[in-house]
Amino acid sequence: MSMKLAFATVSVGMLLAATASVQAHHSFSATYDGNKPVTLRGTVSKLGWSNPHAHIYVDVKNQQTGEMVTWEVESAGASNLLRQGLRKEDFIGAEVVIKGFLAKDGTPTVNASAFTLVAAKKEFVSDEAAPTP
Amino acid sequence: MRRLMIVLTLALAMGAQAAAFAQAKPDFTGTWRFNQAKSNPNIAGNTPNIPFPSQIVVKQTAADVAIDSTSVRQQPISALFKLDGSKVTIKAPSGITESGEAKIEGANLVITSRRSFSSPAGETIVDFKEVWSLSGNVLTIEKTRAQEGESTSEKAVFDKI
Repeated sequence: MSMKLAFATVSVGMLLAATASVQAHHSFSATYDGNKPVTLRGTVSKLGWSNPHAHIYVDVKNQQTGEMVTWEVESAGASNLLRQGLRKEDFIGAEVVIKGFLAKDGTPTVNASAFTLVAAKKEFVSDEAAPTP
Repeated sequence: MRRLMIVLTLALAMGAQAAAFAQAKPDFTGTWRFNQAKSNPNIAGNTPNIPFPSQIVVKQTAADVAIDSTSVRQQPISALFKLDGSKVTIKAPSGITESGEAKIEGANLVITSRRSFSSPAGETIVDFKEVWSLSGNVLTIEKTRAQEGESTSEKAVFDKI
């Protein structure tokens, strides 16, 4: 009986892990609006150093209202950023320029196709080309 | 003298014909499908620099060009441009306002447009420039996106189907 319970627990755990992985690695076209490109300038306030995507939180001032809005920027994963010579320490407090696309749900969430660390004067590209446009 | 006149007349006629041929407008009419293998790598997948349509349907006349662009899971965009370069309203998805103009420049179709929409960053404006060129049944589009003082350019290739 306890063997059966353990097997059931492991199966449910594996299923949940697989679901989380699928949700984490979603397609661009399902989540982001390719018709709404945005370019953001701001300061990194928080960083989610993870795979398959890193999440960079950037404080950006709304040009019309002056209100400061924290944007969640989904970029290439930590492994990809490391390969480009970037470390976690390069981000917090850094001034950045983000080029990406607005989320379809209109929240301050953006997919970064490229970003520039202003102090380094260098643009980094998220190079995750996949087979469908 | 008579022979010289004939030769000169023939040369003039051939020159005029060549000039007329050189000035003939390129015709982009057709259904064009995105060819990823021949396009720049950073325009597809999960982090595109500039996304291009999966398919473009073009109907061109002497006076105008109608363009319908569709993409996977994205709202379509269509426009009827006058080829005299006058500004027209582009039929964009809800929440987006866009206008632009098109004209033939030599062998190219050049389209410029300005798009605006609301975002949590405020009113957002993007300028696009597309240069279309033909080589047989292959259409190449070089697209530049300019926004907030930053610009990005990419090239995509489409095959006629």
